[in-house]
Amino acid sequence: MNTILQKCPRLVLVIAGLALFGFVREPIEDRLRVKLVEEKLLLPPPGQTAMEQMSQSALMGTLGGLRSLVAVFLTLEAYEHFSNKDWEQLSQTYAVITNLEPNDEEHWVTWIWHIGINATANMEIDDRLPEFERKRRFFAYALEAVDIAERGIKQNPESATIRMQLAEVYREKLKDNCATSRVYGDTIGLPDALPFVERFHGYFMARCEGKEQEAYDYLSGLYRESERNHLPTLIVEIKKLENFLNIPVPQRIPDADPDKRPQKSNRKKPAPNELPGGIIVP
Amino acid sequence: MSDSNATTPTLRPPTAKVPLFSLGRVWTIAASTVTQLVRMKTFYFLLAFALVVVAVGNFNIPTTPAKELSMIKKVSFGTMDLFAWLFAIVSTALLIPRDLEDRTLYTILSKPVRRIEYLVGKLGGVLFVVGVSLLAMYAICAVMIYARETAFIGAEFEAMQADSRYSQEEIAEQLTLIQKQGLRAELGIAVLASFLKASVVAAVTIFLSTFASSSLFTIIVSVLLFLIGHAHTMATNFWLHQSDSNLFVQMLVKVIKILIPNYQLFSFSEGVVQGEAINYAVVSQMGMLTGGYLVVFLLLSLLVFVDKEF
Repeated sequence: MNTILQKCPRLVLVIAGLALFGFVREPIEDRLRVKLVEEKLLLPPPGQTAMEQMSQSALMGTLGGLRSLVAVFLTLEAYEHFSNKDWEQLSQTYAVITNLEPNDEEHWVTWIWHIGINATANMEIDDRLPEFERKRRFFAYALEAVDIAERGIKQNPESATIRMQLAEVYREKLKDNCATSRVYGDTIGLPDALPFVERFHGYFMARCEGKEQEAYDYLSGLYRESERNHLPTLIVEIKKLENFLNIPVPQRIPDADPDKRPQKSNRKKPAPNELPGGIIVP
Repeated sequence: MSDSNATTPTLRPPTAKVPLFSLGRVWTIAASTVTQLVRMKTFYFLLAFALVVVAVGNFNIPTTPAKELSMIKKVSFGTMDLFAWLFAIVSTALLIPRDLEDRTLYTILSKPVRRIEYLVGKLGGVLFVVGVSLLAMYAICAVMIYARETAFIGAEFEAMQADSRYSQEEIAEQLTLIQKQGLRAELGIAVLASFLKASVVAAVTIFLSTFASSSLFTIIVSVLLFLIGHAHTMATNFWLHQSDSNLFVQMLVKVIKILIPNYQLFSFSEGVVQGEAINYAVVSQMGMLTGGYLVVFLLLSLLVFVDKEF
């Protein structure tokens, strides 16, 4: 060992050591990288378009491992565009943000909300533009929001929140009951889906032309499933469908008893400082 | 004859053999390194960190409570990560040149202290200070996250209770969403990730400082290596795509991957902060990889440092 150390220049030994270690660790690191990306603990590299769109400082931050910080900084920048109603800039900024953190559903939801709800609302009242242009942009923004949502869902297939935001765009802006019902239907059973999506799927199906019978079967199924589903809106919707479909009177559901409230959950009443979900307020 | 005998100096018999490696000596050097770093007033940066956390905790942008908590966490943990690796580079780069300047190094190495003990002690001292700083920063941001989470839960609960449209289940769902982005024990793993990254950065910097001529050189080269180490996965994809997987580019990429540590791998704190489930087996493998980096870079540092004349 001493002979090698004396005869060989140190630089050569150092480079050899580095190379040897590099060869050993490279496959291990590649495997670990794949695992970390699969577990969503590590973000995949941002897309080429995102890198091209990033400013120099944002790019440096990203290269320096500060992707989350850059994303937060860009979120604040996007808020500035929102305040100035600069929708194109806002959309471009969110394109970079979602490229930096594609797994963060909140970024997608906020982007859809800004473009699908805020930008379209702004087009309804912006009197600096002629009416035809406002209408054109209104639909352009609403369809852009739908496109964003589809990209977001492709990236986060299990996301209920992105779907619910998309349903809001269809419901409030495009007034497309069939699409709204379809999106609520897709949301049922997803990990973070709220319980009301099951009912909303039926309510909007009832308003979708040609789907009345299917909606009636679905909603009356929900009605029969549990007494807890005997909610005023559900009963009203079923009644409307019964009339529309001329359902024989014996098969119709009884009228809602105005004095009878839907059955409360049989869970124990939480303590005064205990919130639902077992959260204790200190 | 008797005169010559009288003038011959009597040599002391050798004392007990110096052990090859002594943890006691490493501990002493590490403790003195910690004192040295504390005297440099390094902990003042905690004030700056606290200011950042308080500022981000009071952003008032119209967003959901869960999103606001997520932003606080991202900024806090991003800043922690930045402070950790920057601190690891600067403090490690300063230590050996400072010991040379103060001539402390001559005093230490004239004693029966092995050079590996000196290097391990120095690195250990730096890592201890980085670890304590990370824990202090974590405590600061945990207080802020907990305070905001409690406030958000209280406000949301009151607002939803007042609105008869929401059932108990819906309220619980909403509060769980907030809680998911709040203070959780798993966030400790994000701190560990930053510590592992800072450890590798410190090991690479100590290796550079064994042959560098100045602290400035070490700092600049370490930061450059850090950026390259972070970007080489991104750059690899980009170059290979641009050059249609040209053989020369492939070889160049391979050389970079082999010689420069892959720092991007250590950024798994981002996923933890976002609330992803943790695979502890992968985390422990990352710990072992960090151990590998520390051992190899310390040995390489020793290779350069062992015959260095001062």
